Amino acid sequence: MQKQYAFLVDSERCIGCFTCAMACRNYYHQEEGIIWRQVYPLAEEIYPHRERAFFSLACNHCANPACLNVCPVNAYTKREKDGVVVHHQDKCIGCGNCIRSCPYGAPKYNPVAKRAEKCSMCHERLDADLKPACVQACPTDALQLIDLAELHQTNEVQYPAGFPKMESVNPSTRFILPQMPKMVRR
Amino acid sequence: MTMKQTYNRRQFLKGLAAVGATALLPCRFLVPMNAEAAAFNEAEFTIFRNACPRNCYDTCSIKTYVKDGVIQFIEGAPESTYTDGGLCVKGYSYTRRPYSPDRIKYPMMQDGRRSGKWRRVSWDEALDRIAKKILELKEKDGNLLGMGMTKYSGNFGITNYGVEGMMSSLGYTTRFVGTPCWPAGIDAQNYDMGNMWCNDPEDMAKAKYIIVWGANPAWCSVHSMKYIMEAKRRGAKIVVIDPVFTQTAAKGDVYWQPKTSTDGALALGMAKHILDSGLVNQDFVNNYSYGFEDFANYLNANVTVEWAAEQTGIPAKDIKEVAEEFATADPATIWIGYGMQRHTNGGASVRSIDALVAMTGNIGKEGGGARYGQLQTWGFNYHALIQKQPEGSKGFVGNAAKGEFDFTNGTEAQYSDRTVNINKTAQVILDTKDPAIKMLWVSCKNPFAQDFDRPKLEKAFDTLEMVVTVDQFFNETVANSDIVLPVTTLFEEWTVNVSYWHYWLSINEQAIKPMHEAKSNIEIAAALSQKMNALSPGSCTFPQDIDTKEWMAKEFNKDIYSYFGIADWTELRNGPVKAKLKTSAAWPDHKFDTPSGKYEFKSELCEKNGHNALPAFKERRKHYAAFRLLTPHTKFGIHSQFINLDWMQEYDKEPFVYMHPNAAAKKGIADQDMVRVFNKVGEQRVRVKLTDNVSEDCLLMYEAWFGKGNTFNVQNLVDDESADMGAFKAGAPGVAIHDQFADIERI
Repeated sequence: MQKQYAFLVDSERCIGCFTCAMACRNYYHQEEGIIWRQVYPLAEEIYPHRERAFFSLACNHCANPACLNVCPVNAYTKREKDGVVVHHQDKCIGCGNCIRSCPYGAPKYNPVAKRAEKCSMCHERLDADLKPACVQACPTDALQLIDLAELHQTNEVQYPAGFPKMESVNPSTRFILPQMPKMVRR
Repeated sequence: MTMKQTYNRRQFLKGLAAVGATALLPCRFLVPMNAEAAAFNEAEFTIFRNACPRNCYDTCSIKTYVKDGVIQFIEGAPESTYTDGGLCVKGYSYTRRPYSPDRIKYPMMQDGRRSGKWRRVSWDEALDRIAKKILELKEKDGNLLGMGMTKYSGNFGITNYGVEGMMSSLGYTTRFVGTPCWPAGIDAQNYDMGNMWCNDPEDMAKAKYIIVWGANPAWCSVHSMKYIMEAKRRGAKIVVIDPVFTQTAAKGDVYWQPKTSTDGALALGMAKHILDSGLVNQDFVNNYSYGFEDFANYLNANVTVEWAAEQTGIPAKDIKEVAEEFATADPATIWIGYGMQRHTNGGASVRSIDALVAMTGNIGKEGGGARYGQLQTWGFNYHALIQKQPEGSKGFVGNAAKGEFDFTNGTEAQYSDRTVNINKTAQVILDTKDPAIKMLWVSCKNPFAQDFDRPKLEKAFDTLEMVVTVDQFFNETVANSDIVLPVTTLFEEWTVNVSYWHYWLSINEQAIKPMHEAKSNIEIAAALSQKMNALSPGSCTFPQDIDTKEWMAKEFNKDIYSYFGIADWTELRNGPVKAKLKTSAAWPDHKFDTPSGKYEFKSELCEKNGHNALPAFKERRKHYAAFRLLTPHTKFGIHSQFINLDWMQEYDKEPFVYMHPNAAAKKGIADQDMVRVFNKVGEQRVRVKLTDNVSEDCLLMYEAWFGKGNTFNVQNLVDDESADMGAFKAGAPGVAIHDQFADIERI
């Protein structure tokens, strides 16, 4: 398999601290209302205690990206060397096709630039042998950068409950499911 | 308001992207598959060293990337194994703080408190008003005790003790002493061990058994979580005890939800079982402790596991199981949270937990310990703090209490400052006489978000003739002030920072020039000194011209250099350094600072100060309303700081009260309803979230300040009832923040 960088979201380690989300904002200074990485609490049907287990999600850097396929001006590229899906905002005409077609809602509309934008996996940092800002920031290593071509773990899943199963795009993000303590309650 | 500064790194990155992609290409549609922005180049930035100074366990070491005189972004310093290249959600929002459009930019005066009629004035005019008021008070009263100073932990940078220094340099004043934070536990540990001293938190990874008791590091000390998780990975069992199913609890192996404020009974029940099972560490109790036999007799006479189960709601079999596991694991440790001691029986509870760790021989052991906090790394000169009163100053006669961070060695003087209890700010302003407090200086603190009984606080402030607040944002305390002075952020001044938890030392360099007209606290002191001496020569001894870098350098001494293994502070510009510890354990040689030199299960000093000599059971505070009200910290702020930043509001839009679905059903309350939470202190309107993370008899609201358009304030519901301990070491008792009660109804 070709090199494909991906985010590993380890919900067993994730403490929902939003550090990853804010580290992204600290690095890119998104306009108000635009969020590249969000931390979503799992619904109580999935994890029975409110706001105590999370998925940290950004662009999934899919194997077959919907955004790239629908862009009329080739503003998206998927890097051959590592599979990172890059949005070139200078080419974007703000038509919104990518925003409408991404099943995971990764591209956002920037009303100031009047163009789309999304998580770049900090490819300019990757090229300097640095981790993405969000990954570097995570205090518990719950968010990691992995290469799907070299995946050795066995407990990760591609489509956990709560994460839409979209096989046509084949999202790269992988998940480890949260566990629960033994509870002694009144 | 819009920002004029060209600080937006994003524009800069976009520019790079455009250059990288288009300059090489003849046609914009022929994008090569690897088109990309230029690789990140650290050399394009000037990198400064900073440290988060905001009263947090983690006190993170920061690397600040500056370009064109503007902070582009920050990250954690990789040199610190504790910070480990990362910050927290609050830290990463810092980039926005110096440039926030909401910052106080200039000195301003308000025509009528809470009128909102602010007008910009010059520094000269503001200081003139302040200085004349000080001289007027001194003239009228014959002393300066009518001037009060309330300062706490908004900025723990060492040079910020210049605020206290400024007060001393004016004369003897009235100081609000004590701490709302941790004093009951400090006293408890002082009675037991003679000081508060904790193991290096990094050695928690070595523990075989960890009890996190009333602490929520997943929110309040995120960098400590990796050590707990590492211990777990190595096979340690993690038990979390908290009335709330916290985020930390969700990561443990076992979660116990005892009845609130019954921690002492729980610890004593475990101690009794350890005693009954013959699992006491005889070497420790025989050789290094004092009064264990009395403690054992107390347990035998008064405590059974069944009694503890009844008190706490934790079944006896669970108490026995964990007690046995804890006693037989080696090493085993307990992290004693500050939350669990904010009770009328908090000090007694901490003593009981200490006893549990001690009787199992875990004190003085790497990976063990009764972890609460430490001040071992705070051996600075306190140059900014120690200033002389002007000659002829008159003050309070007699010895007044000293605060928790007072490192001055008491010298016998005819006069001293007058001290009042910081945890009863409203009441002492109303009660203090001869002279009354007429002027208040507020710095590094937001009393209207932190101090208790907010409705009473407003009445108290209304009796003051002048309130001067030094701050960065127009918070509620500023609204209740007459003059506000803009203060620098950590990026705009030189200072130095250590933690009360880990053992790292970090410098805080001036990374950018102060924004607008902001001055550091010591620069404000110098400017006030200039004005005072211009109006009345000799009336202020504070130097009139200072350089924050020089003042920071003056805080270092030989002992610090040797403790941290550096020759000079300038080495800190290469990154933070850690204390050269012979061992990661506190009390490694079992020589305690108590009167007996041993661990004191029985403390006569404690008895002398009005408490039980033994870690005995103490009843909890009686209910005064239907539900227990808990107001702990949120992950999105440190007290009232950070919440108001626009970046933070992207992720934290609204405050809530959390309530159990069963309790809500009885009240006809549905998820997301607007409700009124009320008690004898006041009321707060807020939206409700239903969750079983809290028990049926609890309401939970996170302490916070939301800024514009939101009046949410948990201090509308918290009275100023004192905790049992704190006066011994912190100067005033703690406050029973979590012994509060309230009722709730749908609006």
